Amino acid sequence: MNKFLSNEYNVLTARVLVGGLLILSSADKLGDPSLFAGSIENYKLVSGTFATVFATVLPWIELLCGISIIAGVLLQGSSLLAGVLLSVFTIAVVTALVRDLDISCGCFTQDPSASKIGWLKLAENTVLIALTVFLYYSRNSRFSLHDYIRNHSGQTESQRKQVH
Amino acid sequence: MTGLHRAVKEALVIALVAATLGFMNSALRGKGVFAAVGSPSSPLHAPVSPTMIHLPEAKDLFESEEALFIDARHEFEYAHGHIPGALNLPISEFDARRTVVDFLPKDRILITYCDGVECNSSINLATKLHEAGFSGVRIFFGGWNEWTSQDLPTEATRP
Repeated sequence: MNKFLSNEYNVLTARVLVGGLLILSSADKLGDPSLFAGSIENYKLVSGTFATVFATVLPWIELLCGISIIAGVLLQGSSLLAGVLLSVFTIAVVTALVRDLDISCGCFTQDPSASKIGWLKLAENTVLIALTVFLYYSRNSRFSLHDYIRNHSGQTESQRKQVH
Repeated sequence: MTGLHRAVKEALVIALVAATLGFMNSALRGKGVFAAVGSPSSPLHAPVSPTMIHLPEAKDLFESEEALFIDARHEFEYAHGHIPGALNLPISEFDARRTVVDFLPKDRILITYCDGVECNSSINLATKLHEAGFSGVRIFFGGWNEWTSQDLPTEATRP
């Protein structure tokens, strides 16, 4: 298990996949928060004002988590936050499916004519949540920005020593 | 436990920075929470967003002729039956029929409806109308199904 968690390529793949999807899903929402607020309101779980506040902040959380996960910086915190967000989204999708709401997800595009929510979306979110849990417990920081800076500064140090 | 504490702290920092960026972006671009603050269409000013109404209110507004009903269903459904006087504006054709939208009365209450609680095109249409500057938009969420279940007047343009 430890071997799997610390395999650098497993961690890198999960980071690129989760981080990339988070950045992708934030793009359309950042462009027009009011449309995203409409998508949140469609779930009929929160009022208009709350939906607007969520629509203003959530895309930025997705973007920062995505960048942070890909860069491997604050990886535990960003994967924890992404996991919590995805869990909340999944619960919202489940309640909408149970209530037979014929609505679009609002996940990657705010186009009302986009594909409707369904059990496939649920499966997709479950996989992503599993990946955030994996990243939370992962023990390898190779290919991360932190790792790059450490190696780079280490190299500079050795170069300095050579010169002296 | 210390690992979880650190992760929670990191998550809070990210959330805080995201909230700051989100509110700043909203204030600078005039979208989201600070959308045109001071204007009547701001989400923080009444009307917050199109409001939902139930059958009794929809019926009263129909009888008093204070409102214009807008049918968000497909054209053929509208043709087979709709609330008398209702205008057909399917959500998928909103942009294509922009000229129709421009001629909608700004001084009347607009009530959108679709089939009923199982559809959301009435909500999407109301949101689009609200964004287009209409402030008196209501959503009759019970829609066509609730209207016809009470034997209220209907009209059809096709038998």
